[in-house]
This record gives sequence, structure tokens and C-alpha cells, in this order.
Amino acid sequence: MHRIPRRIDSSLIVAALLIAAVVTGAVSILRLDTTGRSGSGLSEEFAYNLQKLAAVDPDLILYAESGLRVSTGFRQSRAIALDSSGRMYVAGDRAIGVFGAAGNPEKLVELSGEPRSLTVSDDGKIYVGVGDHVEVLSAEGQQVASWNPLGDEAVLTSIAKHKDDVFVADAGHRIVLHYDAAGTLVGHIGAKNPDKNVPGFVIPSPHFDLAVSRDGLLRVVNPGRNRIETYTRDGDLEFAWGERSVDIKGFCGCCNPVSLAIGPDGGFVTAEKGLDRVKVYNSDGGFVGVVAGPAQLGKEGQLKVCNTPEECQGGGLDVAVGMDGRVYVLDVTDNVIRVFAKKEAGR
Amino acid sequence: MANDKENLTRRKFLREGLWGACLAGTGTAAGLSIARNNRDNTVWQIDPYKCIACGNCATFCVLENSAVKCVQAYAICGYCDLCTGYLVPEPKALDTGAENELCPTGAIKRTYVEDPYYEYTIDESLCNGCGKCVNGCAAFGNGSLFLQVRHDRCKNCNECAIAAACPSQAFKRVPADQPYLLKKVDAKE
Ligand code: SF4
Ligand code: SF4
Ligand code: SF4
Repeated sequence: MHRIPRRIDSSLIVAALLIAAVVTGAVSILRLDTTGRSGSGLSEEFAYNLQKLAAVDPDLILYAESGLRVSTGFRQSRAIALDSSGRMYVAGDRAIGVFGAAGNPEKLVELSGEPRSLTVSDDGKIYVGVGDHVEVLSAEGQQVASWNPLGDEAVLTSIAKHKDDVFVADAGHRIVLHYDAAGTLVGHIGAKNPDKNVPGFVIPSPHFDLAVSRDGLLRVVNPGRNRIETYTRDGDLEFAWGERSVDIKGFCGCCNPVSLAIGPDGGFVTAEKGLDRVKVYNSDGGFVGVVAGPAQLGKEGQLKVCNTPEECQGGGLDVAVGMDGRVYVLDVTDNVIRVFAKKEAGR
Repeated sequence: MANDKENLTRRKFLREGLWGACLAGTGTAAGLSIARNNRDNTVWQIDPYKCIACGNCATFCVLENSAVKCVQAYAICGYCDLCTGYLVPEPKALDTGAENELCPTGAIKRTYVEDPYYEYTIDESLCNGCGKCVNGCAAFGNGSLFLQVRHDRCKNCNECAIAAACPSQAFKRVPADQPYLLKKVDAKE
């Protein structure tokens, strides 16, 4: 049998090749991502993923947010304090906002400069760190004293009062100042002193908090060492607690915890930035549980985008504890106070 | 006046001064760029306050090794022992062991300054601009590590491939005689 040789039309081949080229081109153009929407294509080792670390075991969360959420009205909130009747005092912008226990705005006290820290004494006086000095205001908001300026480098990030002692954390000079209630400087606490076994404060950014427990011992966060140091009023270092770890029990990053408060039972409440977490420790520094993790604080998966260097370095949370044990969390970027109460047993 | 004082305080706290060293030779680099492409005398640059370090800079550049590199703002850096731009989130130890390093290409060098401070510098020949360290530094630290187009290698393409792929509009054209958008201690621009 003869095969009839078939002549293939060369124009058909050219047409087929052309179609194939057009299809291939179209497919590759469609597959080529010039918009970046399909991601970078980098392998997993190039990804910085905190998602896993941000997850908090629900069994460890001992608190729930109460219905009370207070907007501070500030562009930049800085610090929160409570008085014995549960009134909230927030330092921000160039003022102090006072809110009733139910969150109702009561008063706005204008200041001469930007406040960074404040505390309210049992007699209702307000001690506030403004710029390079401390101002004392009456309960009505009238200035009653302005203490000596501490120099251009002073950054007063925390104040606590106990009986006749006032302790002021100065992040700029990396030192705690000890005053009497009249504003006379009594001494300095925490300067590096190998003879007294005092390591010195390491403060990478303006986060440097302190509190005084009922026994009069001063508790100071050493943020660069991720621990809380305990000093006598004479400046002797007694002991320290705090574990450096991303684990829920520890503190991670270079400046944590950024905030510290002491509860009515003598336990501690801490707040961290980076992995935004508010946690509870007992009076010996033992981990008790979580008040709120990134998910509860609405910070989960947030990529930090900041507009100014100060914003990039700032952020974070400030905490205070009420006489009833409720935890007040000031979100300094969202300018809101959130209140967390201990969950009832069995819930 | 009060504001000036606030700024001064902040500047002092943040140690002004060492910043210039991190982009040494930028003057020469700018000159090269102008010679290569005179389009309006502008070059491409990343606004560090818009960049979210998404990773696209590492892969979308037309160059095999991206022209985008990580840079360090020394005046902002905390010189931390526990540097979250240098160390993985759960380091076994705070040291230079490869298993503790965050950078997949080993481009960041850690140098002891004095107890407990360390300096972190970038070896640009190893950096691919992936931004992993930038995210680590921004999450926990001071945000002193950030990305910049380095003009000693950038081709100054008319249509920058990364700019088209940037999800946060961080790429912009800047004057060729001021080719870097640096993070500053006291002001945005
Ligand atoms: S593509 Fe844009 S957001 Fe992503 S790393 Fe580059 S400059 Fe930053
Ligand atoms: S982590 Fe990425 S951006 Fe940072 S130094 Fe290493 S290669 Fe460069
Ligand atoms: S202009 Fe060209 S060479 Fe320069 S960063 Fe963009 S794609 Fe890369």
C-alpha cells in the first residue's frame, strides 16, 4: 500500500507557531506579578512571623474586658494613675484628663509642657513629670509646687509616692531620684556600683517605670535587662526577678516590661510592647496569668508603621490597678483606657 | 520654646551624632546616579516611615542582588544586648552563634562596645533587602534598622520594578543631590 505523502502547508506551521507564541506570552504576562500582590516569593526563612508567639493559651487568660472603655481625647496619651476612689487620671499632650470611675470626663488640667508621668497621692495631690521637672498640683488642679529642673537630658518616665518619699524615674540620666514630699532631693538610686552589686539601669528607649509596694520597697524596671529590681529607700539592691524569654512567663525584646503596677494583694501587673501583653505576677515575681494578650488588646498581627522617630520608639501600654483589683490599660497609641476584671470562677 | 526644649531633650536622650557613618560615600553615589540618568535629576528612594518591610524589595529589583539594602540609624539604635533585629525571637543564647542570628544571609555584624552594649552594622554585600531584621527591630526595638535604595548599584530605571510592586507606596523620586531618606532623631523630614 502506498502511503500518500502529505504535504504540510508551511503557512499552517507558521500560524500554529505564532498562536503558540502568543498564548505562551499571554500566559507568562498573566503569571508575571508586577504588582507585588502575590507576595515577594521569598522562602519562609526570610519571613518575620510573630503570629505563633503572639498566641496565648486561653486557659492562662484570667481576666476579661469590662464594658468600660474610655477615650482619653488626647493625640498622644502618656500615662495613667488612679486615686483611691477609682477616678482615672491620664497625662497626655499638654494636660491631665480626669475621668470619674464610670469613665465620665470630669476635668482637664492644662500644663505648661508635655507630661510623661504622674501619680496621685492619698491626699489627692497630683505629682506630674513635665519636661525636665516635677510639678505638684492640688486635687483641684492648681499648681502648688514646681521642683528644680533636672537638665536638658531629663526624661521623667515614672513617679511614685509612698508616705513622705517621692521616687522619680529619669530615663535620660538612667537613674531614680529620691525626693521628700516637699521636693528636696534626698539621693539617687540605681547608679552602677560594682561594690554594692548594683548593675546600673540599661534604658534603650524612653520606657523606665517604677512603683512602690506597701512595705515601702521600691520596684524598678531595668528594661535593658528585662527584669524588675527591688531597692530599699536608701538605694540598696535587695533582689530582682524577671526572666528574659518570649515565653508567656518572661519578658522579651530590648525594653520590656514597659510598664509596672502593684495590685492591692501586693502582686504585680506588667505591660509589654512588641508582643503586646499584660500579665500578672505574685509578690515574689512568680507568673500567675494573663490579663490580656495581643488578640484581646486588638494588636494581633499589627505591623508597626510609624510616622515619626518618637512614634517608632514609643507605642506600648501603661497600666494601673484599682483597689478592687481591676486592671486599667492605657493604650498610648489608640488613646483609650480599657478596663479588665478578673473572671469569675468557672467562667 | 517649650517644644524646642522637648526636642532637645529627646535628641540628647537618643544620642545624636554617629548617624553619618552608616551611609558613608553617599555623595559619590549620588554623583554616579546623576551621571547614569538625568531624568529630572531625581533618583528612587524608600520613605522609611511608609515601608512595611514586606520582602518585595528583595525579589522585584531588576538586579540579581537587589539595590535595596538595610541601613542602621546609629543615633536611634539602643545598642541592645538582646537586639531583636539581630537575634531570632527565641535565641538559645545572646551571642553570634549562627543558630541565634535572625538574618538568613548573615549580613549583620554584632560588635561589643561596653557592658551591656553592642553595635550592629550591615555588610551590604550580603544583604538582599529582605527586611526581616527591619521587622524585628521595629516590633520590639527602636526601629533603627530600615531599608534604603543604595545608589552605588541602583540603575535608576525609569519605571522601578519595586516601586510598582510596593504595597505601601513607600517608593518615591527624590532629588539626586539628596538621594537618601534617613530616619532622623527629631523630625520626620
Ligand atoms: S516593597 Fe515597599 S513596603 Fe515592601 S520592603 Fe520595599 S519599600 Fe518596603
Ligand atoms: S535580614 Fe534581610 S534586610 Fe536585614 S540585613 Fe539580613 S538580608 Fe539584609
Ligand atoms: S530603579 Fe531599578 S535597579 Fe533601582 S531599585 Fe528599582 S528596579 Fe532596582
